[in-house]
Amino acid sequence: MASFILRRLLVSVLILIAASFVMYMMVAYSSDPLQALLGSNSPNKLQLIADLSRRLQLDVPPPLRWAMWLGGVAKCVIPFANACDLGSTVSNAQVVDILPTALASTLQLVTIALVVAIFLGVTIGIVTALRQYSGLDNTVTFVSFFLYSLPSFLIAVLLKEFIAIDFNDFLRNPIIPWWVIVAIAVVAGAIWQSLIGGDGRRRLTVFGISGVATGVVLWLMSMTDWFLHPGLGPVVVVIIVVGIVVGTTALIGGLQNRRTLLTAGINGAIAIVAYFALQPLFNISSAGTLFILSLVTLGVGMLSGYLVGGYDRAQNVKVGAITAVATGAFILLDRIMQSWPTYLNDTTGRPIATVGSSTPGLSGDVWVSTLDTFTHLVLPTAALLLISFASYTRYSRAGMLEVLNQDYIRTARAKGMPERTVIVRHAFRNVLIPITTLVAFDVGALLGGAVITEKVFAIPGMGNLFNSGLSRGDLNPVMGYFVIIAAMAIIFNFLADLAYAGLDPRVRVR
Amino acid sequence: MTTPVLADNPTMPETKAPESQGRLIFRRFLSNKLAVVSVILVLGIIIFATSAIGLGPIPGWWKYGYKDLNPQLNQGAPTLSLWPTWLGGKGFSFGEHPFGQDRIGKDYFAMTMRGIQNSFLVMIVLGVIASVVGVVVGAVAGYYRGTVDAILMRITDVFIVIPALVIGSVVGHWFGGLGALVLAIMLGFFSWMGIARLVRGEFLSLREREFVEAARVAGASDSRIIFKHILPNAIGVVIVSSTLIMASAILLETALSFLGYGIRSPDVSLGLLISSNESAFQTRPWLFWWPGAFIVALALLVNFVGDGLRDAFDPRHQRFSIRKMRESLPEPDEDQT
Amino acid sequence: MLMVFLSSVRQNARTRPAVSSSCTGGKLKITRRRARHAIAAIAIAGTAALALAACTTSGTTTPSAGTGGTVSVAVVNDFTSFNSSTPQGNLDTNGQVGYLDGSYGTGFQYIDSDFKIVHDTKFGTFEKTSDSPQTVKYTLNKGLKWSDGQPITADDMVLAWAIGSGYYDSATFDPTSGDVTKGTQYFQIAASTAGLDATSFPKVSSDNLSITLTYSTPYVDWELVNPIAQPAHIVAEKAGLKSAADLTKLLKGLPKGDPSNPAAPDPTLDKAAKFVNTGYDVTAFPTDKTLTVSSGPFVVSSWTPGQSLTMTRNKYYAGGLVPKIDSIVFRFIGDASAQVTALQNGEVDVINPQASADTLTALKQAGAKVLTGDQVSYDHLDLNFGSPVFKDKTIREAFLKTIPRQQILDSIVTPVNPKAKVLDSQIFLPANPPYDATVKMNGSSAYDKVDIEGAKALLKGATPTIRILYNTANPNRVDEFQAIQASAAKAGFKIVDAGSPQWSSLLPGGDYDASLFGWISPGAGTSALPQLFSSQGGGNYNKYTGANKDALATQTTLDPKKLITLEQAIDKQTFTDAYGLPLFQLPGVFGTSTRVNGIKYMGNQTGPFWNFWEWSVKKSS
Repeated sequence: MASFILRRLLVSVLILIAASFVMYMMVAYSSDPLQALLGSNSPNKLQLIADLSRRLQLDVPPPLRWAMWLGGVAKCVIPFANACDLGSTVSNAQVVDILPTALASTLQLVTIALVVAIFLGVTIGIVTALRQYSGLDNTVTFVSFFLYSLPSFLIAVLLKEFIAIDFNDFLRNPIIPWWVIVAIAVVAGAIWQSLIGGDGRRRLTVFGISGVATGVVLWLMSMTDWFLHPGLGPVVVVIIVVGIVVGTTALIGGLQNRRTLLTAGINGAIAIVAYFALQPLFNISSAGTLFILSLVTLGVGMLSGYLVGGYDRAQNVKVGAITAVATGAFILLDRIMQSWPTYLNDTTGRPIATVGSSTPGLSGDVWVSTLDTFTHLVLPTAALLLISFASYTRYSRAGMLEVLNQDYIRTARAKGMPERTVIVRHAFRNVLIPITTLVAFDVGALLGGAVITEKVFAIPGMGNLFNSGLSRGDLNPVMGYFVIIAAMAIIFNFLADLAYAGLDPRVRVR
Repeated sequence: MTTPVLADNPTMPETKAPESQGRLIFRRFLSNKLAVVSVILVLGIIIFATSAIGLGPIPGWWKYGYKDLNPQLNQGAPTLSLWPTWLGGKGFSFGEHPFGQDRIGKDYFAMTMRGIQNSFLVMIVLGVIASVVGVVVGAVAGYYRGTVDAILMRITDVFIVIPALVIGSVVGHWFGGLGALVLAIMLGFFSWMGIARLVRGEFLSLREREFVEAARVAGASDSRIIFKHILPNAIGVVIVSSTLIMASAILLETALSFLGYGIRSPDVSLGLLISSNESAFQTRPWLFWWPGAFIVALALLVNFVGDGLRDAFDPRHQRFSIRKMRESLPEPDEDQT
Repeated sequence: MLMVFLSSVRQNARTRPAVSSSCTGGKLKITRRRARHAIAAIAIAGTAALALAACTTSGTTTPSAGTGGTVSVAVVNDFTSFNSSTPQGNLDTNGQVGYLDGSYGTGFQYIDSDFKIVHDTKFGTFEKTSDSPQTVKYTLNKGLKWSDGQPITADDMVLAWAIGSGYYDSATFDPTSGDVTKGTQYFQIAASTAGLDATSFPKVSSDNLSITLTYSTPYVDWELVNPIAQPAHIVAEKAGLKSAADLTKLLKGLPKGDPSNPAAPDPTLDKAAKFVNTGYDVTAFPTDKTLTVSSGPFVVSSWTPGQSLTMTRNKYYAGGLVPKIDSIVFRFIGDASAQVTALQNGEVDVINPQASADTLTALKQAGAKVLTGDQVSYDHLDLNFGSPVFKDKTIREAFLKTIPRQQILDSIVTPVNPKAKVLDSQIFLPANPPYDATVKMNGSSAYDKVDIEGAKALLKGATPTIRILYNTANPNRVDEFQAIQASAAKAGFKIVDAGSPQWSSLLPGGDYDASLFGWISPGAGTSALPQLFSSQGGGNYNKYTGANKDALATQTTLDPKKLITLEQAIDKQTFTDAYGLPLFQLPGVFGTSTRVNGIKYMGNQTGPFWNFWEWSVKKSS
């Protein structure tokens, strides 16, 4: 194992160095940082040009300059020396100094997009595979093809124009028109009936119930100014908690498994108690408090599962953890929603942002700043994730279909296992195997996509650094960007290999 | 699956001999309505665009060129009418400027058509170059294995580390000013890595087959074995992935143009049209929607074609259905290695 | 939802290092099965309670809102330096911040939207006290203070003079690499030292509030010299001196630099110069608050790189440009379309986007106020006097007669600025008072209309080939080229497209017959004239020699009337010689939200900020 990692590391470093040479040469020969100065009519133009050439050592031929640059990068490897030198920009800022903030912005964006895309993509892919050739499946297939063929900047611009501006306009007078309610209700009904399936009568019933329920909820939200004072309230929280308890149990252990139900039930009960008990604490919470609370939640969930025990203790622990975290998330969601009116006031009634990643000068508690991050990141993240979401649905659908055709699935069915066990226990894990390789590729695509998203949403991330550097002919920030993304691509490839080995017992790490 | 297909006789005469695999695949492709319609539509769009504004010195049937300056009519609003008269419209007519005019009066229809031509040019050239380079690298690496393989694959790794959009931006920054063809060729030289990996994988397994051994015993040269014996068996992978690369090439060029590293004015590309008219989104939306619709349509159709090809070459993907399987007894499974 | 929550926790954890590692749960060993539940619950509850108690905040802090309100302005580039006078710091945003904090373009004077120099007499007074030798006396008002409470004195003016004049420099440069081969260069500045380099060490008054500069050769743009830049007490401290007075003493003692016989560099001045040159360059809001010290009405109070920069009122400011608003927020938005949506969405109040008719309509539809005007940059067509085809004046004239200037204006500028007119002078902009009179007499009327017949008559059947260099990456230039190509072809010219995205590096080479590009006029001052029109000028790419003498003479002519006469003579000469044609001024657009009042259009680099003291915010209902 250790020798495998070491060898991989060595090869990766060599690849990185070679790739950096290619990149350096291409950028150095394609662009001229003196371009802007050459066309200027500044009286001391020659002096300015000389000054810039001296600072960026433009008189040194690019291959030599690359070697010097590499020498500076090599210093980063020395631990604790803080001797990193990635060169400076045209405006004399050290690349080492500007990288971290840019990196943080981009990582935030890309990580959220990646996680959400995987979660939604795999879920929807599997569901559509199980309902192959249904209306839902065909629609999802078409939509994912469509998203796949949509240029990302087009999505970004459309989201900005339609979602941000229009939603903010809607908030001025948050009444949903009746025809929108009807349309959403019909769509929701159609999705549910397709999901649940069955014969014509059952489908019609499901369609009717879910459609009417959706419509009524929307109408109530519209009538009660819910969008200005959102919140779940105790009743809805209790309903959701019960739903999570039942759902998790049904999905993982099966409702007839008493111990699983007990674990989920305990956590549900704790969640409901905590919902009422913790409100005063929430009001004075900081990020640290919430961090501890989430750790405690996870601990309680796992511990309760462990203590309930039973023949399948590991499964109980899993159920406990999932129920605890999921219910906890909704309680937090409810509390965050309660801060909405405050935040709405801070942003003069137009909460969804179109530029940047935070409101300047906003001072509020952890809830308000969470909302602020949310309103700024929701659209760029959506723009970024929609494309990779499409490929995850397609891959996991195809993967699920292929797995379901395998002998061991047939064997499992033949020995009378419930369908739930077959899917969750036998098929799901095998679907994940090809997905891990996709993730490694997708990270590169997401980082590339971030260049465009960051431009459209004016987010000061890595993509922005790359784009502005390249267009100005500013070599060092471009190379700084390159080092980070190439390293990330290599790391993710490596992680994918490890995950592959973890999921597929046939693969050995040598 | 084990009979090798020879590339020199892809269309076997109708004899009593079993149906050739090429024909089988073709028939399977034809049975996929969506893919066939997509092929027809793509060709239709290309022919329409090319015939409208002509190609090079050959003039097209449309009256304006994409560079001509025309007087502004009705603030450049589009004159295309599609509503039939019996629905109260003006019937189908192009009018003076069917897609409207841009800010200095150029005919937007001609520009959009030129953009389609360029997108198509980029797509084909990039796809062909990436496939050729990828096939050669992958075939050589997979066939010879050992040191050659190691070296070629490490070179592949070097290029694959850089995301397509990033390397595309740099290439575009360098060569974008030299016209669509140069840009497409250069982008092609940086897009072959995926195909190379796939082809190498195929070659690694195919080279162990009996028919390769037989060819070797018969004294065939390495290049003959690679290109005449093994490659035809790996052609499915190549065709499918080069089609998918072509679909992403359209989007890549569009993204590059949006960032300003793609095709430059006065030439036209669909991405460039969108990006230079982004500010017109609310005021003259047609400047935004026409090129946008064609980008999506082209990419979508090519993706459908690629998907159809994949199904035709690899029938495992589509032939399976849970419903069917539950109804009937499972067929004997194919050999999977 | 969960992801969002976690991410914000991470972000906040960064800004709240106070959460210590002790905030974690504990572990207990339990033996009896029955007791486990109870003990575990108690343990968890206990630990959690303890940890939580340690990790809460005491509620929220409400911001102390002033009464004047905040205005957010969208700018394209990020802030990089508190000193915008250095070559690397000379970027638009830095200059605008400098305009507000008094280090760049404000102080004794500022330039208004008519490009007139306005003196701020509440800050100090300055006047030309003698013509020969030319002397200028600057006097600070009593009681002026920097934003850290230290007084503003003549020491600060002496430092600004030392920086701007290059008096102590003795460096010789290697012409290719730009390296110093001999001697020392202390302060590096983006601007030219021309003018101030002809002054000797200023005379400092006994009350330490005024200085007198003596020019050995007359300097025409003396009124633009502003001797307030960086605070001398800070620079002195960074150089290891005790006070600003010590710095003045040091400067007074040092000899003028002599490139032919350089003296050994003075270590203290070198240290001071290094600080001024690069010490103000920042990549994050500085922990060293001395960098933000301001003499202007605003002080930088926070900066999130890439996102926003906030400036708040300088409570010590005693000059005349007193703002009505409390703070100005710069928001960095590189994409022009993103600026428009941000204004629509209420995230910014003022934008200065790329001007297009669509932007204009979109802004109007969104209910924003729209201000249009001309920028100080203008596009022009220059004929290359070094190219064989244009050796003949009649060919030049014939070519210029075919230039469809009105058509170009109509397609590019008029949609944005309907009042725009073709630019008819190589020297003046319409905002300059002498413009109208100059246009009447400079002979530009000969090219008012496209005259294909006239051009044909001059050509006498010849079909010269003209290669035009322009920037193919700039859509305006591409459109101009296409319009010229179509029109000139009618008269028989063969126009060859010599455009390139690398046009600026091809410009000095002269391998073209005509060039199409833009200049940025400074609006006020004359320093550009010899650059463009004298044969040694760095901007004289088309090898024009016709107005050599007059162009050089403008630099030493102090009498404003005589200066205008000289400038008019140059202008007339260029039209007589068929030098080329000015085409149009680029249109500019400001969009402002209705909650902000008092923004006025300004075409130069200061942009909307130029009259910040007139801005006010409507009280929200």
